[in-house]
Amino acid sequence: KKMTNDNLNKLLVFCVLFCAQKTSIVHGAQALETKVALLLHAEPENPKCFAEGMSDLTCFWEEDEERAGSADQYSFIYTYQNENSSECSITALPAAGGKRLYFCRLSQTQLFVPLDIRVFRDDLLIHNRSLFIEAVFLLDPPANLTLTSTGMQGQLKASWLPPSLKYMGDSMMYEVSYAMAGSHIGKVEEVQASSELILRGLQSGTKYKVRIRVKLDGISYSGYWSAWTDPVLMETMPGDLDPLIVSLSLIISLVLTLLSLLVLMSHRRFLLKKIWPIIPTPESKFQGLFKVYGGDFQEWLGHSTGGLWLRPTYFYSEEFPVPLEVLSEVSLGPALPSSALPPKASEALGEEEDEDKKLKRVDPALMEGWRKTPQEHWTMDQLRAIHQHPAPWTQSSLLESHDAYVTLNAQNHSVEEPLDDILEETLPLQVLFASGRTSSESRSDLGSVQQSSGSGRLSSQSSFEYPNHTWPSKGPGYTYMAVADSGVSMDYSPMSSNKIDDIGKGVIYTNEYKNEIPAHRRPIGTPIHFAF
Amino acid sequence: ELSKTSRLFAFLLMLLEWTKPGLSNPLRPICDLRVLKHFIEEARDAEAAMLACKEGRGLAEPVTVPQTKVDFNVWERKTALEQAQEVQSGLWLLNQAIGSLRTSVTNTALHSHIDNSLRNIFSIGQVLRSLNIQEYTPPAGGVAGGEETWRVSSASELLQVHVNFLRGKVHLLLSNAPICHQGSS
Repeated sequence: KKMTNDNLNKLLVFCVLFCAQKTSIVHGAQALETKVALLLHAEPENPKCFAEGMSDLTCFWEEDEERAGSADQYSFIYTYQNENSSECSITALPAAGGKRLYFCRLSQTQLFVPLDIRVFRDDLLIHNRSLFIEAVFLLDPPANLTLTSTGMQGQLKASWLPPSLKYMGDSMMYEVSYAMAGSHIGKVEEVQASSELILRGLQSGTKYKVRIRVKLDGISYSGYWSAWTDPVLMETMPGDLDPLIVSLSLIISLVLTLLSLLVLMSHRRFLLKKIWPIIPTPESKFQGLFKVYGGDFQEWLGHSTGGLWLRPTYFYSEEFPVPLEVLSEVSLGPALPSSALPPKASEALGEEEDEDKKLKRVDPALMEGWRKTPQEHWTMDQLRAIHQHPAPWTQSSLLESHDAYVTLNAQNHSVEEPLDDILEETLPLQVLFASGRTSSESRSDLGSVQQSSGSGRLSSQSSFEYPNHTWPSKGPGYTYMAVADSGVSMDYSPMSSNKIDDIGKGVIYTNEYKNEIPAHRRPIGTPIHFAF
Repeated sequence: ELSKTSRLFAFLLMLLEWTKPGLSNPLRPICDLRVLKHFIEEARDAEAAMLACKEGRGLAEPVTVPQTKVDFNVWERKTALEQAQEVQSGLWLLNQAIGSLRTSVTNTALHSHIDNSLRNIFSIGQVLRSLNIQEYTPPAGGVAGGEETWRVSSASELLQVHVNFLRGKVHLLLSNAPICHQGSS
């Protein structure tokens, strides 16, 4: 039993060794294959020889299978300088592509001295070569190629184990080839007598494949480039934001912010109004109502009797659009039906053929009424009807007021007078009516009056012509219209268009009343009176 | 740029030797092998020039030159002293041989190469001295024979020996000088 155990143990050990050797043999065979292939490509002379270590030499040559002889037909004779010749034993191995390889391996060599090689086949010299063994080194590729990160952008550190050859460490030259994974275009970097290299200028966040090969530098020792190592893959550090781009974008955003702030500051009032509109409070109208009496209206009323009567009027005059008021003279003719006035006015207007006619700032209700009745003359009845519009003013008070007013003359004599075109929109209320056959024309201080060349016409006068408020009594043909203007511009939608086509035959232009009245012409808030 | 620095380096070395004659002030060890590499390249140039020249290349008489072959197994078995002796004696022989070549060669272009080679041999001697490698004292009676010598009769052979000797034994000795490896493990 013991013997079988021992035998088994021996067998086991033998198997292990054999297997290990087999793998190493396989490895060695593979390495040899690659080297043979390399030299067949790189070396033109025959026999091709290479040294792998400090004291070995392998030589081989190739022959076609058909013409190849057996190994013993060949003889390999080598001679060192100043020495006698020696012979090397030849082994034959089959190769791919119908070829045969003949090998000779020397295990003891002399360097730095010329070596003469001669190959004979059946005493016939087939190959002749003289070489230095230290000049035909073909090393194994470097082992343990590893890639590590250097901690910096776009860099990788490649490190490897140099071939373990004594005395030759300083003479080794490495070539590192690196390319992006998947790409065939790569770069190559050479380094001497080192065991690591930092690859720079790589793209961030990309996978790179790196491989390396070794050769002796050619001063004391030289040889062929080794085979490439298997490629090693490694990804570079992920990209950081380009500092230049970051700083530029920061600067631009800063500049934009400053600009927008400037714009905002310059328009802050306007924006504040839009965003946070001021809620109108009636505090200013009710002096002390909120502050003193805390909103108690009853109390406040009780304490402020004097101002009560004034307030509504004040209130009215500020808030309500005031319509035109017509004042009629006592000595006027028969009363007019209210409905008759507007059509007459429209007819009168319709009679106007002049294209320069303008209609400014008339109460829309009034205007509308005027459109309807196509009567020839202004009648007193119509005017009186208008006068029935409730108003606290008396005729005398109006006439004596300091307000500006415009008079409209209705006259029957025809006087041709040139007219100026009224196109300025800054002119205040100028209402032109054509009627009858009036021809007189009074020029208003506020601007000229348009008149038709027709017979009947109205003329207007401004109160400025009568600075002392001496209202001229022009006879029974006059009617007065008082207009109080609150100073607020209003948009009468029917009047908003510049041209009203549906008023009779004539073309009437209307203009929107604008607030920008020259101060000297008409004080804001004062009523305007139209007088006939 | 490398050759310039090496030249300057060698010149400074010689200058130092000049200014301090006979002083036992130890030189700083020259462990940089680029100096030797430069000398090797110049020796190669000389050999190539000699091969290119057709005439005026012959030696008057055969000269003794050192053996250049290196068997690593054998070399490693030798002691440091033996190695040093081998190198120093070989350099001395070469110095003698190339010196005699100088007189027999008539080509002036070759003269510059030969002078250069002689200067380089001298410089190598200085480098070895800086590495505390023992100097060689030639035996009394002139020419030294021995196992490690042989005789050449052509100038090109001589210069080839010169190149191979520098590449081989001298390089081995310098690269393995113990004083250069004291710092490293």
